[in-house]
Amino acid sequence: MNSGIFIQTIIGGLGIGSLYALIALGYSMVYRSMGLVNFAQGSIYMVGTYFGIIWYAGIVVGLRVPYPVALLIGILLNAMLGVVLERIFRPLAKLDLMFMLLGTIGLGFVLNNLFVIIFGAEGFAVKSPLPDTPIIVLGIRVLPQMLLLIGGAAALMTALQIFLKRGKLGVAMRASAMDHDIASAMGIPVNRMNALTLAIGSALAAAAGILAAPIVYVNPAMGSAIGLKGFAAAILGGFGSIPGAIVGGLLFGVLEAVSSGYISSSYTRGIAFIIMVLVLMIKPTGIVGETTVEKV
Amino acid sequence: MFLEIESLTMQFGGIYALKEVSLAVEQGEIHGLIGPNGSGKTTTFNVVSGYYKPTSGSIRFEGAGITGLPAHKITAAGFARTFQNLRLFSSMTVLDNVLVGMGHHAKTGLWREILNPAAVRREESRFVGDAIHLLELFGIAGLADHPATGLSYGEQRRVEIARALATKPKILLLDEPAAGLNEVESDELRGTLKSIRDSGVTILLIEHDMKLVMGVCDVITVLDYGRKIAEGPCESVSGDPVVIEAYLGKEDEP
Repeated sequence: MNSGIFIQTIIGGLGIGSLYALIALGYSMVYRSMGLVNFAQGSIYMVGTYFGIIWYAGIVVGLRVPYPVALLIGILLNAMLGVVLERIFRPLAKLDLMFMLLGTIGLGFVLNNLFVIIFGAEGFAVKSPLPDTPIIVLGIRVLPQMLLLIGGAAALMTALQIFLKRGKLGVAMRASAMDHDIASAMGIPVNRMNALTLAIGSALAAAAGILAAPIVYVNPAMGSAIGLKGFAAAILGGFGSIPGAIVGGLLFGVLEAVSSGYISSSYTRGIAFIIMVLVLMIKPTGIVGETTVEKV
Repeated sequence: MFLEIESLTMQFGGIYALKEVSLAVEQGEIHGLIGPNGSGKTTTFNVVSGYYKPTSGSIRFEGAGITGLPAHKITAAGFARTFQNLRLFSSMTVLDNVLVGMGHHAKTGLWREILNPAAVRREESRFVGDAIHLLELFGIAGLADHPATGLSYGEQRRVEIARALATKPKILLLDEPAAGLNEVESDELRGTLKSIRDSGVTILLIEHDMKLVMGVCDVITVLDYGRKIAEGPCESVSGDPVVIEAYLGKEDEP
């Protein structure tokens, strides 16, 4: 294979990796903040995709809005879902991991089935708002939607970093994630910070889903495989680490693309997971994870 | 009355950590809370500052009932506290630690941050100025950009108190601030506590270092096995046979 195709493969990997990264961020942020492993994240991604894309695709009584508007609606509605989820997760976060898993996986099933009931089990394809023909530069062919996904994800992740590092609210969120007791002694409403964290995580998942919708196929089961890969990506980067989620997501996407391009597409999933296991054997805290995050 | 705790009882399972403890703190005093280990001092702090809901009893602050409010609302009412084991936000800088304490005065909400970022930035730079000023008072302004984790024990203690003061409290609850400090640092702490009191902040102090307690406290309350056994000015408490017995045990009867 020539270098053009190699670059093309990498770009495809970065695209799907951006998707994993946005989902991995949801896992890691919520874990940091609440000590909760949220296995409903894949379903939240699916719900967020529907929340936005139905208005663009004209699923609801033929109502159609422009793509950017649909993107905003989906992000906002899913952020609200995140706030509601905080109330549901609050008692779960105090329980053992086993109950968290049961609770969040169960919630995922409820959401998936709810959407099957409302929209039917079979999905639909979404037309890209951008031209469907690939852009060709120096023999490298890339879909405009893929560039939109990569660019959009990069913008969102940069905004998140600035928000967390610079903003006072971001500092409060970090403080709340580090130590609930001290944060509340400092006057920070910890439950509200958790709600904000879930809102941001869900909003990012919605953005990921709506940006990727014209590339993937939209259906109520779309979140299960991607949810699992997002989780794997978060672990690969270092569970609970925000830069880790980004690095892990992109790396996982690229690994997948390269292994399907150069080895075999039928082994794609297996190979990426094998590499994840190898990395964890060498560095159990993940690539960026400083220390194992301990949560009570 | 400034802070009024009335017949506070805290029960864990069948065990009474506090039994009908009443305590009144006047504005502007340094009030010591002493007693042997396990006598209920920290439990009192945890109940007052909103971490435990008391089994029974009431807490009033400036005339308003605050019993059972969540911790962040107690802080908003004018309380600040430190913890027995040092708990700074270790991966943050010293400055950020203090800024976290200032946060709840900000009018910032997510919407304001999005809609009026300029006002939020102005407010933030004012907060940074205030935070640096606080660090200067504690002689640690030079450490502002250091991560909290690399500091000495005494420095961390100072950051912790500065962080608590950053919430602009009316009353400060200090849980063993002298623990782990050497003689010199402990003497400095005495001066610090007095100047905090003189700046108008009332202090409720848990401490085992009796030299410090006797040196700064206006009033002392003594707990033993979750009950109040004595209260009064230093001299009367230190000579009280009941207190001596609680600390040293009863003299053997011949």
